[in-house]
Amino acid sequence: MEIELRPLDTKQHILDEAGFAYNFDRRVYFNRKTKKIFSVAFLEDRSDEEIKRLIQGATDDEEWKFYFTSEPPESVRRAVEASIG
Amino acid sequence: MGEVERTVEDRLRQEYFILLPEIRRVADRLEAEIKYHIRLISARLRRHERLAVRCRVKSCESALEKLRAHQEGAAFDESRPEIYTLTGLNDLAGVRVHAFPRGRLADIDTKLRKVFPSWTADPVEDDGDVLACKYYGKCRTSDRVKGEYQVVSMLTGLFWEVEHSAIYKPDIELRGIDQNFGMRERTRDVAKALRAFEEYFEGLTRQG
Repeated sequence: MEIELRPLDTKQHILDEAGFAYNFDRRVYFNRKTKKIFSVAFLEDRSDEEIKRLIQGATDDEEWKFYFTSEPPESVRRAVEASIG
Repeated sequence: MGEVERTVEDRLRQEYFILLPEIRRVADRLEAEIKYHIRLISARLRRHERLAVRCRVKSCESALEKLRAHQEGAAFDESRPEIYTLTGLNDLAGVRVHAFPRGRLADIDTKLRKVFPSWTADPVEDDGDVLACKYYGKCRTSDRVKGEYQVVSMLTGLFWEVEHSAIYKPDIELRGIDQNFGMRERTRDVAKALRAFEEYFEGLTRQG
């Protein structure tokens, strides 16, 4: 029997499966391999399908790609990147 | 010699200590008013019922942390320090009214709503359930500092205290853990379990 996941568990599962970790200090999910960072606020606003699509989308893998509800200022990008290491 | 550049946090700490006397006045006033207005409800409690009023002044670091957590990425934009102010926080001075069982919450909420009719409702909701009635606004004691009061089931309120004070606050690195989606579902489970406990308890005591 398949257990139906609740909405937040579904999002968590999608992120776990894609290799994303959660950073407590910055409240973001990140993946060092694909260099993607999602804010909690951004993920809350998006459907599961859209999140999957964004996770799978290609990046140039050089710089971190931020998925925030608005473009983060440079000092915020630096602070988040420093926390992630 | 050039002036040392101050961070957003430095500026906010200075603001906090300028505001602190007002925050204390708002907290004292709010606590006194709430205790006065619910005294008759307190006097009528049955032997197993509980009502407690807890007042707190938000600490400097908690205030900064809350404002920081409101920013996406939980970081301040250092190029625009002027956009941040602690007066934007609704709960620098806060009072929480705990009641057990939850059937008492409506009486207290109705009473206090008449005392603070202009305050803005900001209920704590989760998955369609109202976990706490929460309001914020200004007292006569300050035109800058907002106060907040909550009316919440004692079991839920005490769980929040344990969750925040015992688990998150001692270790600053854990503070954002409550925003993790998996943790939020587990917290939701606790809230539902506590609610079920109280509703069943109330049902039995009404029969008895």
